Amino acid sequence: MNGLASILRKEFMHLRRDRTTLVIAMLLPLIQMIIFGYAIDFDVRHIPAVAVDLDHSRESRDYLEQLQATQYLDFDATADTPDQAADMLRSGKVRVAVTIPPDFARTMAQGGNPQVGVMIDGSDAQVSVRARFAFLAPQPLSKGVPQARVNVLFNPDSRTVNFMIPGLLVVVLQVVTVALTAFSVVREKEMGTLEQLMVTPVGRLALMLGKLLPYAVLAMAEFAVVLFVGDVVFGVQPHGSLLALSVIAVPFVIATLALGLLISTLAQTQGQALQFTLLTVMPSILLSGYVSPRETMPGWLYVISTFIPATHFMQATRGIIVRGAGFFDLVPQFMILWLIAAVLIALSTARFRKSVS
Amino acid sequence: MAVENAIESEGLTKRFGDLVAVDALDLSVAKGSIFGLLGPNGSGKSTFIRMLCGVLQPSAGKASVNGFDVAKQPEEIKRSIGYMSQSFSLYRDLSPQENLEFFGGIYGLRGAKLKERTSAVIELVGLQRYVSQPSGTLSGGWKQRLALAAALIHEPPLVFLDEPTAGIDPVARRQLWDLLFELAGQGKTLFVTTHYMDEAERCSEVAYIYLSKLMVHGTPPELKALPELSPSGTRRLAISTDRPPVALQVLKVMPYVRDATLVESDIHLLIDEAATNEEIVRKLTEAGLTTSGVRTAEASLEDVFVTLTRRLAQT
Repeated sequence: MNGLASILRKEFMHLRRDRTTLVIAMLLPLIQMIIFGYAIDFDVRHIPAVAVDLDHSRESRDYLEQLQATQYLDFDATADTPDQAADMLRSGKVRVAVTIPPDFARTMAQGGNPQVGVMIDGSDAQVSVRARFAFLAPQPLSKGVPQARVNVLFNPDSRTVNFMIPGLLVVVLQVVTVALTAFSVVREKEMGTLEQLMVTPVGRLALMLGKLLPYAVLAMAEFAVVLFVGDVVFGVQPHGSLLALSVIAVPFVIATLALGLLISTLAQTQGQALQFTLLTVMPSILLSGYVSPRETMPGWLYVISTFIPATHFMQATRGIIVRGAGFFDLVPQFMILWLIAAVLIALSTARFRKSVS
Repeated sequence: MAVENAIESEGLTKRFGDLVAVDALDLSVAKGSIFGLLGPNGSGKSTFIRMLCGVLQPSAGKASVNGFDVAKQPEEIKRSIGYMSQSFSLYRDLSPQENLEFFGGIYGLRGAKLKERTSAVIELVGLQRYVSQPSGTLSGGWKQRLALAAALIHEPPLVFLDEPTAGIDPVARRQLWDLLFELAGQGKTLFVTTHYMDEAERCSEVAYIYLSKLMVHGTPPELKALPELSPSGTRRLAISTDRPPVALQVLKVMPYVRDATLVESDIHLLIDEAATNEEIVRKLTEAGLTTSGVRTAEASLEDVFVTLTRRLAQT
């Protein structure tokens, strides 16, 4: 135990002077408990749904209103045909489609039980189970009682891996790619090589892009690896186009690498860069919709989750792998990912100064 | 109008909050000179160089480097200067060849021109044998020569060298200076900072910064002839004795000795004119020491800086 007291004293002195570590150690658990406490909520409500009302009667409207009143479903879209509704399910715009047959009101009046067609996106088991609750609620209608014929599309046997693996590969990819560039600038700062670069006429944007793009190639290779493992080890194969998935992966890895670059321009030391990188891990798991559906998040948290690249790419991987969605179903996600990438690169370039202070 | 001076600075000032790091510096450096900037650590040398290199905005005053304004044209300055820092700041995992090609590319050299310049600087500094091993494994002296080669890759007319010989051995130091003389002979302007007086003696012009202010600027002989160094009523002596350190302790405390130090085993004194050589020899003999020579000495550059620094510290 030679020198224990001295080492203890010295470490406390370091700790007291290292403000960043102190702030991260004290403030972070506080913030994370609050944010992530809201994020993890399996009591899914307000599931986006589409109604195909072929009857256009007062009774059919009453029935839809009752479903809405259960709070499990939110009919914020309408479609003219069941096929249209199925397309909306595949593209991920809605998770539930309710089709009311043309003879709904007549059958009811005759005391019959009209058959209502219900299609549920089964890719997320938590969502699909909750969606069924809407149809279990008592139906105090006169005479006939509508019968919901539930049809679970995509992942009909509700295998969890089918849903979790496409999400997991996004989380894994985001965490490892951020780490690829998080050290790039701050390492040069610590090694002293940045001092030499600053006195050269090198362009700031050239430096940022030059640092990012080689890692984009590496990150795409990593993407291939995680897809391969998902397929070979867990038996999860894309129902949709692998090419479409890869095309959307490009802006995703550029966005996450740009996030790493921004961390690298903010951090003063490589140790700090590591701490900042670890900060991105929890949000990409808990806020991206990986653990619990974004529909359950309070509005402000939903807004925060919009800025996370993993959120959008996860919609793409689940769409393409689980539901067989096509590239054009996911153009919004593709565009948002490019937008996030561009903003992050612009921020890093603005942050990086070729001068000292 | 042709630019006569490589560097012109007028009232150049840098403040960090309340701290004045560089205080209204007026300085000009003639083209083709080896200009030595001296001053203790923290005197403002680095801040001054950073402003001249265009990586730090001045708070006040103005300066031009190769005819470009430091505040308004930092990128033009960067294209026209070479810079070699005191700590090795090239990529340790890249070979000298790769480092030089990288920096050449940054300065816009391509293809045959890049090849030609890379071989030219490798040959100039004599790095041929080491071009392909990782730069981090080179010895201190070779690292500095590589850094110099990188600073010269784009043929800048002006090169800044921030303590280029700090921490390298005497032979490597001499070789580096031989290289600097060669460059000066080719007409390049060299701006060197150093703590070594023998290096200062090698410069064609020397300036001394102390407490953020420029104290003197001139050729080494001009500085040694400054009146502050030879106050009226004093003279300088060099004395050879046995056991010089003991002799120094004896003489230092004499009331007529203004300054005393050891130079190459001789004792250098600044004494009142009234004190005679015989008096000094007698004091040494009383202390049991043998004096083998007493002669008139010249002020050294070290005397210049020590004297000027003390004067400023007293006021």
